[in-house]
Amino acid sequence: MAAGEFALRSAEALAGGASLEHGLVEQCRRGDAQAFARLVALHEGMVFNLAARLLGDPEEARDAAQEVFLQVYRTLGRFEGRSTLKTWIYRIVVNHCRNRQRWWRRRRKDRSCPIDALTPADEARLAEHGPRAEGPEERLERRERARAVQSALLQLSFEHRAVLLLREVEGLSCEEIAGTLSIAEGTVKSRLSRARDALRGSLAGRQELQ
Amino acid sequence: MIACMRARRQLSAYMDGNLEARPARRVALHLDACPACGARWRSLRSAVAMLAEAPRLECRDLISTRVGDRLEVETRSAGLALILRPTWKARPLIFPSLIPAAAVLVVVLGLAFVLDRDHDPLPAVVTRGAESWGPTAASGTESNPLFLSAEVSAPRVRTAAPINDLLAALGEESLFVETVVARDGSVSTVTLLGGDSLQAGPLLEALRHERFEPGRRHGRPVAVSLYRLISRTDVHAPVT
Ligand SMILES: [Zn+2]
Repeated sequence: MAAGEFALRSAEALAGGASLEHGLVEQCRRGDAQAFARLVALHEGMVFNLAARLLGDPEEARDAAQEVFLQVYRTLGRFEGRSTLKTWIYRIVVNHCRNRQRWWRRRRKDRSCPIDALTPADEARLAEHGPRAEGPEERLERRERARAVQSALLQLSFEHRAVLLLREVEGLSCEEIAGTLSIAEGTVKSRLSRARDALRGSLAGRQELQ
Repeated sequence: MIACMRARRQLSAYMDGNLEARPARRVALHLDACPACGARWRSLRSAVAMLAEAPRLECRDLISTRVGDRLEVETRSAGLALILRPTWKARPLIFPSLIPAAAVLVVVLGLAFVLDRDHDPLPAVVTRGAESWGPTAASGTESNPLFLSAEVSAPRVRTAAPINDLLAALGEESLFVETVVARDGSVSTVTLLGGDSLQAGPLLEALRHERFEPGRRHGRPVAVSLYRLISRTDVHAPVT
């Protein structure tokens, strides 16, 4: 990412109140392609990360992210501003990934190696994001942690994974998650409780094995 | 033991600060007093922290460029893709007049599909490059259908599904559907890619009974994937 672009994103994030977002949506609806480009740039990182964590596969996630923005473009006319643009996009991401995973499972069931973790290249890339001063051992540990988290996530059901990611990674409140997924807030809370416990069990199980 | 079970059930709510003062205090006291539950609480917190602190996964290429390319194919317009390229910030709007036109075209395609399915060829709102689907090259069989391209002609509807009533039942929802049209013109699969699967059931069933003039490549019938956005709602036409 270029430095200028980063500055732009930070500035937008700071100024990113409802009115700015409202203006952006209005511009997109009027067919302003630059506004749509900005909308994509603002949200593509979040969309890709969420899709990659949900699907467990960067290639699939890239395709999914692309489909998500196409769907955003096509349906922007029906975005009513009752939710924020971001939670509306979260909803599209989760729905799209859910369907994509079903479809993918059916069609690719013959594929010999199931996708259940990050590729070694991705792990290596994640490990590089650490602090400069970190030694090779810490780097290895970071890499192992990244792998452990992702493979633990993928052992959960899709619905548990979605709730957990929206809460812990995207920082949505239970109420916002309920709105995003169109489920009751009580359901969010009970799913979240089970999902956290399953994640704990999965990660603890790994540590005991080692 | 009952105290342990109760405390463990409440750990998630406790973590979020969602317990009333009194139950929260009871949980805190129990965690202090019971080593097993205390350990459980610490491992729960560390698991959640590990997830929260996991670095964000980043895409190696710019999604906006890909979105731009796809919109360009869909709308048959060069304007969007040019603008969505990474240089868009530095570039003045080159084809301002094309943009609203492109948006209108998307709307018209969607409506044509809903209203006039007997006469128009199916608008395939999405064409996808075969290469984006990984190792297996598409061969044009039902299990491995082709996508529309300059070489592959679009299937045409011969018997449309009676979906008007079903669309009305759909309300505000829109569905993003893949239909694989087989070499004999029947529908081999219908898959919901986006939208409410509960509401979509009857509509998907109806779409399975559609009959087509099959798509062709080099004159020979091939199985083709069609992507359609099905929606009842009027999409707001952009103001020009
Ligand atoms: Zn206890």
